[in-house]
Amino acid sequence: MSPNNTAEPDILWAQRGAIQPGLLQQFRASVAHSFIIMTRRRRFALAAALTFLPALVPIMESFFGRSVYALMASELFTRLAEKLYIDLLSPLLGLFFATMLIAEDVELRTINYILTRPIRRGIWVLGRFTAFLLAAAPILLVSLAITAVACSVERQGFVLSNFTDLKLFFHYVAVQTIALAAYGAFSLFLGALTKRPIVYGVLLIYGWQRVAAFVPGVVDFLTIQKYIDGLKPVLATQRNLVEIQTALGTFQREVFAVGAVKALVVLLVLIGLFLGASALSLRTREFGGDKTAGS
Amino acid sequence: MNEHSLKPVIEARCLSKWFGEVVALNNLTVSIDPGVTGVLGPNGAGKSTFIKLALGLYAPSRGEIRVLGEPPRNNYRVLSRIGWCPEVDHFYDHISGFEFVYWLCRYWGMSPRAAETAAERACEMVRITDRMDDPVDEYSKGMRQRIKIAQALALSPELIFLDEPMNGLDPRSREEMYALIRELGNRGISVLVSSHILYEIERITDNVVLLIGGALIAQGRVREIRELIDRYPHTIQVLSDQPALLAKRFAGEPGVFAVETKGSAVTIRTLTPDSCYDALNALAAESPDWVRSIECVDNNLQAVFDYLTRKNAL
Repeated sequence: MSPNNTAEPDILWAQRGAIQPGLLQQFRASVAHSFIIMTRRRRFALAAALTFLPALVPIMESFFGRSVYALMASELFTRLAEKLYIDLLSPLLGLFFATMLIAEDVELRTINYILTRPIRRGIWVLGRFTAFLLAAAPILLVSLAITAVACSVERQGFVLSNFTDLKLFFHYVAVQTIALAAYGAFSLFLGALTKRPIVYGVLLIYGWQRVAAFVPGVVDFLTIQKYIDGLKPVLATQRNLVEIQTALGTFQREVFAVGAVKALVVLLVLIGLFLGASALSLRTREFGGDKTAGS
Repeated sequence: MNEHSLKPVIEARCLSKWFGEVVALNNLTVSIDPGVTGVLGPNGAGKSTFIKLALGLYAPSRGEIRVLGEPPRNNYRVLSRIGWCPEVDHFYDHISGFEFVYWLCRYWGMSPRAAETAAERACEMVRITDRMDDPVDEYSKGMRQRIKIAQALALSPELIFLDEPMNGLDPRSREEMYALIRELGNRGISVLVSSHILYEIERITDNVVLLIGGALIAQGRVREIRELIDRYPHTIQVLSDQPALLAKRFAGEPGVFAVETKGSAVTIRTLTPDSCYDALNALAAESPDWVRSIECVDNNLQAVFDYLTRKNAL
């Protein structure tokens, strides 16, 4: 604090009025800051390591699964891509990172610095969401690529140099990215709205979505999974037939499939809604108090 | 002097804020002119709530507040002209002091290079340049205070809110802070400083707003506030060789509601200080040993503040 040193402050004060808050600059700031915060965390390395684990499955399987029951390469890849990458890891990464995109600022109360800056809430939220995608999507992409390569080694029925198989691979990459975006937006929304976003996220994503898939009727339309399933390649004929095994016997329920285009539109709308609602929540909620974090 | 410099920087009208059943600010109507203004009050007086309402962090429960002529909540025009140093330390994890200021400059819409320059200069201003690359986690309380002030100053705002800025500063840093705030005022920056210590405010400015229990008790210059004593019980301390007799003499006087003796000192609390002074002067002329000296113990702003605080606490 050097009030007598007038030279520096003069330069500083001369800036007044010269700076106009730029939306693009603010967006870039939000992306870059959030990306740095995310990647500096230990949990980032942990999540990345977890994400690469499925790549070991085809390698292990090629060692231990040489029998008549061994899976075909395409079948193995499809199973891994759908069950592990899209259904498990995409929401898991969303919960790992996106829930904290806003919730952490609320918890640390650094949100007040943001809210007293002339940055549009929507721009800030969009920046954080973009940073999440930039951090998480490449991890999933690389891991899926390694898995695809591992599946195609010493196997038949899936070769990445084959155009059809390559198309299938990129199809899964696209679905996986959209799933990541959808679950990320949902997790971010939970983080903006609730005090324990991870708990609610686990309950809703891994609890409610599983339950809804077995409830007769059209309840499953109230899940993200429903629309992500609609984007998956039409390979498995049993996908739209749910089997429920009980003590009384095995029941089947009819599933109303959603077309890929409609599913994509719904997911994009959902992403927009979740991000919009998060931004709106920042505009309307009060974070100033010491007891307001996540309340 | 720009067009805004003649208008009040903050105007609150019938402003109330409550949290559940707790009333933090109660029907506050106040107008704060440009310059350095101290917001005084004990803990829980509503100072921070008032500042957070002015920053737009809270929405008024009732009434309205205008900052630089406009409602502040979610108003980017207002937010681009103000800076804020919060009372409590809130920082990102694993971040250096420089990075903290830098990113908050970036959120303001600065380019990376402009933000870097602004952050460096702000750190220089608060004399933290040599430690600015260290993690904030390793900072002392005083250094954290400085870095928070740096982020508020970095954008050269027109109006700065400093919420208890002297908290945690060592005596030397406090002196520097007083000087810095006065300097900001001299440069035409409006500064709103909250504190619960009157001495701190007296060192910075003569303009004060006194809040107690969420209500405005007084506003104006220190001198004007001191005149409020006349409206409230006044404490006069008299040194006397006949303290018991003097106490007995004043005990029944109209307006006097308490007389205490301690050694040769007689403390008189009265609602009519003028008549009391007249009587004491007359007594001093008649019997000098009855009145050796008269002292108004309310002569210090701290005493006024303590009195008003005590009164409202009862």
